[in-house]
Amino acid sequence: MGSEAHAPPARPRLGVFKLASCDGCQLTLIGCEDELLALSEKVDIAHFPEASSRTDVHGRFDVALVEGSVSAEWQREELLSIRERSKLLVTIGACATSGGVQALRNGKDVSEFVRAVYASPAYISTLDRSTPVSAHVSVDYELRGCPIDKHQLLEVLTALLVGRRPAIRDESVCMECKRRGNVCVLVAHGEPCLGPVVHAGCGALCPRFARGCYGCFGPKESPATAALAARLKELGVPAADLARRFRSISGGAPAFADEAAKQELEHD
Amino acid sequence: MTHPTKRIARAELDRLFALLSEDARVVHGPTVRDGAIVDAPLASVSELPIGWTDQQAPGRYRLTRRDDAAVFGFVVGPSSPKPLFFPPEETLYRAERRADGKVGFVPVVPSPAPKALLGVRACDVAAMRIQDRVFRDREHREPRYAARRDDTIVVGVHCLAPGPLCFCASMGAGPRVGEGADLALAERLDAGGHIFLVEALTARGQALLSRLEGSEASDEELRWRDEALASAERSMGRTLDTAELPGRLYAALDHPRWEEIASRCLACGSCTSVCPSCFCSGSDDPSDLEGAHTSHTRHWESCFTSAHGELHGHTTRPRTSERYRQWATHKFGAWVSQMGQSGCVGCGRCIAWCPSGIDLVAEVRAIADGVSPVTMPVAREVTAPREESLVPRAATVLARTVESSDVVTLSLRMEPDGRRDFAPGQFHQLSLPGVGEAPISISGDDGAGVEHTIRAVGKLTEALCALRVGAQLGVRGPYGRGWPMDELAGGPVVVVAGGIGLAPLREALRRMLADPERYPDVRLFYGARTPEDLLYGRELLGWIDRPGFDLHVTVDRAGPTWRGHVGVVTRLLRPATVPASARAILCGPEVMMRFTVDALAKLGLPHTRQWVTMERHMKCATGTCGRCQYGPHFVCKDGPVFRFDEVSMLFGRHGL
Repeated sequence: MGSEAHAPPARPRLGVFKLASCDGCQLTLIGCEDELLALSEKVDIAHFPEASSRTDVHGRFDVALVEGSVSAEWQREELLSIRERSKLLVTIGACATSGGVQALRNGKDVSEFVRAVYASPAYISTLDRSTPVSAHVSVDYELRGCPIDKHQLLEVLTALLVGRRPAIRDESVCMECKRRGNVCVLVAHGEPCLGPVVHAGCGALCPRFARGCYGCFGPKESPATAALAARLKELGVPAADLARRFRSISGGAPAFADEAAKQELEHD
Repeated sequence: MTHPTKRIARAELDRLFALLSEDARVVHGPTVRDGAIVDAPLASVSELPIGWTDQQAPGRYRLTRRDDAAVFGFVVGPSSPKPLFFPPEETLYRAERRADGKVGFVPVVPSPAPKALLGVRACDVAAMRIQDRVFRDREHREPRYAARRDDTIVVGVHCLAPGPLCFCASMGAGPRVGEGADLALAERLDAGGHIFLVEALTARGQALLSRLEGSEASDEELRWRDEALASAERSMGRTLDTAELPGRLYAALDHPRWEEIASRCLACGSCTSVCPSCFCSGSDDPSDLEGAHTSHTRHWESCFTSAHGELHGHTTRPRTSERYRQWATHKFGAWVSQMGQSGCVGCGRCIAWCPSGIDLVAEVRAIADGVSPVTMPVAREVTAPREESLVPRAATVLARTVESSDVVTLSLRMEPDGRRDFAPGQFHQLSLPGVGEAPISISGDDGAGVEHTIRAVGKLTEALCALRVGAQLGVRGPYGRGWPMDELAGGPVVVVAGGIGLAPLREALRRMLADPERYPDVRLFYGARTPEDLLYGRELLGWIDRPGFDLHVTVDRAGPTWRGHVGVVTRLLRPATVPASARAILCGPEVMMRFTVDALAKLGLPHTRQWVTMERHMKCATGTCGRCQYGPHFVCKDGPVFRFDEVSMLFGRHGL
């Protein structure tokens, strides 16, 4: 057959990078288990310090997966370098996509936090804001979640490999919740739930366990945050509590940050 | 009409349940779960919500205890029978694309255990009949829906105590269980005891009834039931005047209330998801890492998502006000033109389960009450449904012609028989396993294959344009209504094309030029961006010497070597070039057609002598996914060619 005459095409090079984050989204990739083996046959996982001692700090990549927000100057520099060396850059998770839970510090006095938390504040070098990757470099695709969803990650990687548009729906959590046949916790129990304004992808995990959605996938397309805030207030949720709900994991996303600020203003 | 009716004791429900369970039939019915009454497969009568009821208000539902042991003492919960027949997510077919470029498609059709539905309200029986029309009985017979739906026994329950959100009486769907059920129960619980009147509505129901222990219902009992139903009809929580409602809603497309609703609407899609009749869907093609094996899956979608209005990477309904208007005008208006009946059965679920508590009835009344109706299109007569598997067949690329920098024409042989049956103006769904599917208009018949002219604008069209001779792809169709070739015969025909809009017109032009007796006077006005973008240059040059054919070409911008017209195509339309007696067929960008229609009207061509092609994302191509709706029309089957007066009310309007 002369198969040696057909050298397999070079596998696309994948790099996995981490900025300010908890590593949970990278763990989702490791958690792919069966699919990870198949994936490693299709792509050359050239840089993935979380999973392998084989790294390529200065190499070039077809796809870079970037976890974490920019919270320190060195992260900004590293991000610029990653972008420069990567054909496609995909942010993975709430930190990289909207600043993460560490964006809670935005607008506050960070030096005060540093003094209060660390025994030797002098060792701490940090920016006073946590910002998403898109605030610094162009992003080709954003994956939501805290952590990201395994199926969405595989879908994006597959789509990039095959050359099609990733089938990631920008609809609400309600759509997933209803497809699963869950009983709406907001309507049937008066449970505060952010699902109507939150991007799908988690499979309506919290409502499945009778909890309201707390928004780790961030705002959906056209998030009606003001309408939901008004409704949750009718259900008895105070403004300060509403602000905290919008400020949590995806609080750096503009739609949620704006609604939180409105509610804080009202509370003050 | 009087149906045979028996009075049975409460305990006899167990026997009914046992009869329904015969032949491994799965009995579905209401049961209590997670603080609501939901539908589920049941093991026995004891799992029914005995002694439970529901309290409902806009955006609020609470399960509470009754002070009796009524079996059906509640209204409707969040779940309807819909997911049993139209699942929230399902695979339609599997496809493979082999290394040698060949493709294969394998339909996925379930063979589920037969079902019996126990305790279905009149509204849901009516909703099942609506979904039957969409998926099985009207134009298409979708085999997956049919496999789940055929051979289902339906035991309805008359609604004797409607809830505060109910308005089935206004919609003609209840409270009496009507056609679609085999048996109808009326539950009576009073000082006289706890009994059921069981009414057989079909022969199958009659067979079941004959095996139940009980006596023939007395006149008093039948009177009691009819009076209880009449009283229920009078005590609906909501009422809606449906007289000429479609026309009144379409007359109120610019009502300020749509925008006001958007300040409360979450655009979350809960309403459409709980609706027992909403049928809109999206589809995806998840694949393995090579893209060699893929599943084509269909999932519940909502007109409240951006995806539902998707067209070439943007959405035709960006605003929540437009999405809400799409929902309400479809449900109460367009549906009547599409299916011959309203899409609403008055179950009230969309009101109860709206997280924001929006009351659809109140909104529709606020918008449509007192409005003078516009005339709506009448639903087409359909004789027999056609089997529609939605599965592509393989086609082989016979020839590939590069038309311009981003446009390629593929001539395809339809496997296995090489058929080339289509009407000019129709389209095919072309697909590549692992990449996706898109509607592509048919641009001709070259004697060997069916031609498709494709512009590379996205991943799929890029991949299609890159296909080489001998490679295979998937094809469904042909679909849609093409150009009115018979009506064009006899007089002068004006053909106006913009850019790639010439593609769906080419075969019409070829056929007209090949038959000068029928089409003695054909004039083509063709505009493109640049001279390099002009399609079919050689073929056009070959036509210009034909008697009875006039060619007028213009480009938006040109280099110094261009000797022809520069400017928009409407500048070519003048009394000297367009006879007032002509008929016109148009295809191009919507804005081009808008100006062209006006220009032709000024030259004496009424809207009834102009035909345009509309563009919306035709995803299923059979009028069942809802994506390509344009007002009361499905572009995929009512169009893509419309006589202009059919769409003039909507044309140029944003957010439809």
